[in-house]
Amino acid sequence: MISIKKKLNIAQFQSLIALFILCLGLALMTDNFMTTDNFWNVMRQISVNVCISVGMTLVILTAGIDLSVGSILAFCGAVTAGLLSNGISIPALNLFIGFTVLGAVLAGLLVGGGLGFINGYAITKFKVPPFVATLAMLTMARGFTMLWTKGHPISGLGETFGFLGTGWFLGIPMPVWISGIVVVTAIVLTGKTRFGRYIYAIGGNENASLLSGIPIAKVKMWVYALAGILAAVGGILVTARLDSAQPNAGFSYELDAIAAVVIGGTSLSGGRGTILGTVLGAIIIGVLNNGLILLSVSPFWQQVIKGLVILLAVIIDKSNQKSE
Amino acid sequence: MTNFNPLRMLCFFAVALILNSCGGPDERALNQPKKVAVIVSTLNNPWFVVLAETAADRATELGYVATIFDSQNNTALETDHFENAVSSGYDAILFNPTDADGSIANVRIAKQKGVPVFCMDREINATDAATSQILSDSYAGCVAIGKYFVEKLNKKGKYVEILGLVGDNNTWSRSKGFHSVVDHYPELQMVAQQNADFDRNKAMEVMESILQVHPDIKGVFCGNDAMAMGAYQALVSSGKADQVMVFGFDGASDVINSIRDKKILATGMQFPKLIARTAAEYALSYFDGKRDFAQKVPVTVEMVNQENVMDYQAYGSK
Repeated sequence: MISIKKKLNIAQFQSLIALFILCLGLALMTDNFMTTDNFWNVMRQISVNVCISVGMTLVILTAGIDLSVGSILAFCGAVTAGLLSNGISIPALNLFIGFTVLGAVLAGLLVGGGLGFINGYAITKFKVPPFVATLAMLTMARGFTMLWTKGHPISGLGETFGFLGTGWFLGIPMPVWISGIVVVTAIVLTGKTRFGRYIYAIGGNENASLLSGIPIAKVKMWVYALAGILAAVGGILVTARLDSAQPNAGFSYELDAIAAVVIGGTSLSGGRGTILGTVLGAIIIGVLNNGLILLSVSPFWQQVIKGLVILLAVIIDKSNQKSE
Repeated sequence: MTNFNPLRMLCFFAVALILNSCGGPDERALNQPKKVAVIVSTLNNPWFVVLAETAADRATELGYVATIFDSQNNTALETDHFENAVSSGYDAILFNPTDADGSIANVRIAKQKGVPVFCMDREINATDAATSQILSDSYAGCVAIGKYFVEKLNKKGKYVEILGLVGDNNTWSRSKGFHSVVDHYPELQMVAQQNADFDRNKAMEVMESILQVHPDIKGVFCGNDAMAMGAYQALVSSGKADQVMVFGFDGASDVINSIRDKKILATGMQFPKLIARTAAEYALSYFDGKRDFAQKVPVTVEMVNQENVMDYQAYGSK
């Protein structure tokens, strides 16, 4: 156990150094990077990716993958927005159900958890490979979003709901609070609970965990459900920030999340990695996005540079593993 | 078949059944309603949803059976749709191309089988393939916006341009139209040009970052209305909404409302409903025997600003 912990710390330490160099470089090259304003910009902008990436980390730690988070994000954001602005009306029963902000948010989270659970169920009960099961969900959830929104954005959601995305509390933006709570909860979950130890064990060696009596199916279903719930949190944040649920929201967000996880030093083959590493990965991507714009780098080059950073992160991580 | 798989067999049967049920044009009775295919580049954007739905609705009103096909911005998928539509006996295709060059071959598939194709909004770079092309003039629309932009900024100051998708034709025809005017004024200085993929959230984030470097800009031109809304939101949260003038393009409902509320300055109103209805009506005259269609029918993009916004509604005039 002790040796594993040491390895993780090295991976994190490297991400931290990379982040430090990146920030130092940007601070020297621009006048506007090291400002409080810009700091909160970056933190706000990464909060959605942090939520999704934390869920993705849990999934990848079990040696799985979840490609559906971007679509689930869009659908849950749209569900929350739709319930908030239109409620549910059943003309046949002459029934109308209105939703408060809390009700609509809970409904959104529930839908996210439900879709994630379906992923987990398909993977554990029907032995569908995670890549395939969540790929199917990626398509389905996008379809649900189109059906629910009829292809049009749902806008005008009110100030109370908007506060979740644009408000400040004790000098910190709300999205940062929310993603911060997600991160702390996930760190405790993975580091201090039996559930967390099971996640690492399953990813490390599934057969051994089966023999030692770990309820693999149950743990995995919960992990995918959690990834769904966290995607819903992200969806609610995006929707609240924009005061609008966009039918094409979250497109290719799963790739940003996977990138954050990988840069953070989590192994795609499972069993090795940390939440904190992922958060660092998400911050690196966020700082890079922000910095390339501050430097007025051409949009064409931005994509090349981001790809190179991901590749570099993995190469360094691999060479580390060998040297140990 | 080495490996008997009941599910795969079921799929074969289903496909066979579908193929069987849609016979070729000769087999169908003459008095059956004509079938019209609406093949649209994407349904992932409200503007195209309006275009596709209006075309299908108008075709249905005229007594046809209309089906919408979504190419998901994928020219290869568009090829499949054309092949399917032609082989399952559609009589006309109302078409919104994914790509000006790539889609030409697809239109020729239909032409070979004698199925007329009417292009909507976007053109294809061939004049002998489609029966007629009803086109939204993005370039001229952005020239008009550019002129208004110059006037409102009083010919000087720093500004920002937010592009759509950097690999997309429309992105550049809009940008070029705008710059064809604005670049003549040396005191108008573009301090940042970034892409936000026609996406509201991305435009907001890009704008937030740009404002860190250039807090003193006076205007922002966005390649579509979703991005204009995103840019406006970034300006509001940084307290600069009064200082910076926002210009969009499309005529989406959020932006029309914002122009009415004096939040956004102007947008280019395209007329998806008009374009789609015209295409459906052209199909009607084709069925009635008309053949001499103009190859290109431009539909003017009108500028909506705070003075004339009362004459407009989302995606059209009142």
